[in-house]
Amino acid sequence: MNLYTYVLRRLLYVVPVLLGVCLVVFVLFNLVAPDPAFVLLGKHATPLQIAQLHHELGLDKPFWAQYLDIVKSAFTLEFGYSWSSKQQIWEMIKNGVLPSLSLTIPIFLLSNTIAIIIALTTAYYRGKLIDRFMLIFTIATMSIPSLAIILFGQWAFAYKLGLFEIAGYERSIPEFIPYVLLPICIYVFINFGPDTRYYRTMILDEAYQDYVRTARSKGLSEVIVMFKHVLKNAMIPIITNTVIQIPNLFLGLLLAESFFSIPGLGSMTINAINNSDFPVIKAITILSSISFIVFGVISDVLYTVVDPRMRLK
Amino acid sequence: MKKTQFLLVLLSLFALSTGCTKKQNAQERVLHLSSTAEIKGYDPIMADDLYAGREVSKIYEGLLEYHWLKVPYELQANLAESLPEVSADGLTYTFKIRKNVFFQDDAAFANGKGRELEASDFVYSIKRLADSKNAATGWWILDGKVKGLNEWRDKNAKLDQTNYDEEVEGLKAIDKYTLQITLAKKFPQFLYSLAMPFTYAVAKEVVAKYGKEFINHPVGTGAYVLPKFDQGKQITYTKNPTFREKLYPSDASPSLQHLLKDAGKKLPLVDKVVVHVMKEDQPRWLKFNKGELDFIGVPKDNFASNIKDNKLTPELVTKGVNLEITPSLDVTYIAFNFENKLFHNKKLRQAMSLAFDQNKSNELFYNNTAFPAQSIIAPGVRGNDPQYKNPNRGPNVEAAKKLLAEAGYPNGAGLPEIKYDIPDSTTSRQGAEFFQKQMEQIGVKIKIVATPWPEFNAKVKQRKVEMFGLAWLADYPDAENFLQLFYGPNKSPGANGSNYDDPSFNKEFEKAVVLQESPERTAMYEALNKRLAEDSVAIYGLHRQSYLIIQGWLENYHSSDFNHDYVQYLNINNEKKAELLKKF
Repeated sequence: MNLYTYVLRRLLYVVPVLLGVCLVVFVLFNLVAPDPAFVLLGKHATPLQIAQLHHELGLDKPFWAQYLDIVKSAFTLEFGYSWSSKQQIWEMIKNGVLPSLSLTIPIFLLSNTIAIIIALTTAYYRGKLIDRFMLIFTIATMSIPSLAIILFGQWAFAYKLGLFEIAGYERSIPEFIPYVLLPICIYVFINFGPDTRYYRTMILDEAYQDYVRTARSKGLSEVIVMFKHVLKNAMIPIITNTVIQIPNLFLGLLLAESFFSIPGLGSMTINAINNSDFPVIKAITILSSISFIVFGVISDVLYTVVDPRMRLK
Repeated sequence: MKKTQFLLVLLSLFALSTGCTKKQNAQERVLHLSSTAEIKGYDPIMADDLYAGREVSKIYEGLLEYHWLKVPYELQANLAESLPEVSADGLTYTFKIRKNVFFQDDAAFANGKGRELEASDFVYSIKRLADSKNAATGWWILDGKVKGLNEWRDKNAKLDQTNYDEEVEGLKAIDKYTLQITLAKKFPQFLYSLAMPFTYAVAKEVVAKYGKEFINHPVGTGAYVLPKFDQGKQITYTKNPTFREKLYPSDASPSLQHLLKDAGKKLPLVDKVVVHVMKEDQPRWLKFNKGELDFIGVPKDNFASNIKDNKLTPELVTKGVNLEITPSLDVTYIAFNFENKLFHNKKLRQAMSLAFDQNKSNELFYNNTAFPAQSIIAPGVRGNDPQYKNPNRGPNVEAAKKLLAEAGYPNGAGLPEIKYDIPDSTTSRQGAEFFQKQMEQIGVKIKIVATPWPEFNAKVKQRKVEMFGLAWLADYPDAENFLQLFYGPNKSPGANGSNYDDPSFNKEFEKAVVLQESPERTAMYEALNKRLAEDSVAIYGLHRQSYLIIQGWLENYHSSDFNHDYVQYLNINNEKKAELLKKF
């Protein structure tokens, strides 16, 4: 199938998926979640105030009209204003996305690069001392809860050694850099174990294939076998794993944002959930769904680039 | 070669780490504060929590304020020239507005120059609060209080566009500097409303210019300026260059005489205020210990290791850190839902109250820093009799068992399992488990229902709970604010989540709240307070205290529940700071 036709067809899937997402969001908020008026009006609410607020928020409209409102905002990407903070949602997203990305992109790039390099090295030396050491080390790092690593890292490197800022964020460039260095280092460390183990397994799966044995029997050096043949074929699961992480980059990192006072989208989402701030949750859910679909398509297209045997259907 | 490049990259990153942070001018006095919650924005009518209230109060001001150095709390004029003239019937309040007070410069005004504050600004600001289209969270303070305001609100709620030009009978700008407010019924606590952020003065032009973005463009008459709020975690305010001649107070209560060093100086005292939004305890604690925050509340997990017998450890004392312990005007309590007939049985309520050990709860969850509550009104508020001992206060398991038997449930036989609702958090859960065990001693079975805060709150408001745990922090220092928790007409979704409705209590309450401050009113409050305690309308918990640690270079600070605008009085001693920081 032609690449453009494929991409177009996959992107058209956005329509039914979004309708479904809208339905789920609608059901969750109208039938399951508590009435937001109670949270928004605080401790001194009266029945009249509740009725007036329902009217202001459009919660007194028939269910079908409320569902249509959600669908409309999903397709026009007009999310309006936050119920709790009264901020324009696009402005909130705009303010939050860069701090989140300033944290998640370096973590994503460094984590994956380091993990792939280490995975290749350990796969190359499989069974040897370095491989066994890395195996124990990765399992050990995976056994420590992320929160403990964050707490220790902040205490040791920022407070005791004074190498980094303890917490905070500046929106200007390059002032933001000192504030994101420590959380980046900590998250690269946190991701190191699971990422390395995953990539090592993927690479070793390939390393035991028949074509690898053939390559070796042809007398190719182990370096060429690993980097030219094994790595190329292991790229598909690697691409899947990396591309699937990209939409999450926009959602930010809740713990890191919270402990390092970074004004990203992670803390914004949690605040919205805690305040029953439906428009914000709706916006984040819809945007996440769209980005998962888009990056799904990108990963499919990338398969064909790294492996010409793959065909788009 | 590659190794060298890698090392160079690392070194440059560290150089950036230390070099990119903004350097502070040594002479500039900068206050570093922390907020433990996100700041929602800068619209006074939405400032319904302590955090928003404190930020809004740096920019905006109200007619009245609390005197910074008076204990107990005392109202004084702020944007008003003096306290109002009150008519003989106690219904009409006439305020003279202070002259030569200017709004901060902003593009919303002609030539970008802030114009003079007028009485009509208060009329407009109060109408904004009442406008249902704004869904203001602070409307409750004036709901039903100002003559004609509810009618104006209800009428405009039906219109597409609110008509701010339509007059309200009880809200008039008599002339440029005279504001007259007429109440629908007597309510002396009304004056407290005028010291709360909800009624701060905003300018019509600014609201019109920024529309929905007004929340991010604060323009008030206050001591500090914030050009735009970008929802960041670091909010920097600078001195308002056009701030009026407001001076540091020259009189103080005996206990605060030591804070008079800056008496008579022009406010504000510091050049810049930086608020760090930090929700987590550890970074806040570490930043304080590095000298990067000027004061913080002591986090629960750091309490035992840093405070012994209400004294700081030598390590902190050496750094010049001071400890301030101040009772908060609050109360924690376990409420019965009186819509459930089970709780109409007074002996059952008394038995449960007697079985509960507040002292143990204080020890387990508050490091013995709180005061066991004898009644609903917090100590320090007129109406709380310090000598009063609640006869239903535990622990007295034997008496509780006896009463439970008299209630018709010997050893709990025949008593259904009682659901106890709490907001889902580790501390609430631990507290609930403690309560469950206490009740088990007399045979009362408790089922803990933990739900996230919005759901918990909705269940209370919809009267879908049996028992629930709550804390109440006073909105203003008047016993009415505590007693109204059991006033019938305030039943859920109002503040009376217990849905207690005793007509004779309601009648006495109504009589007391319309009286001006007087020994007669205090006696009535005390009687109502005791009546609730003796009727066991709730299982009283604790009155908490705030434990603050303050850097040695911070001057004029003392803890206050209601002085939201406290920042203007604070000062930083830069020489002392430089000296003390060497010990950090």
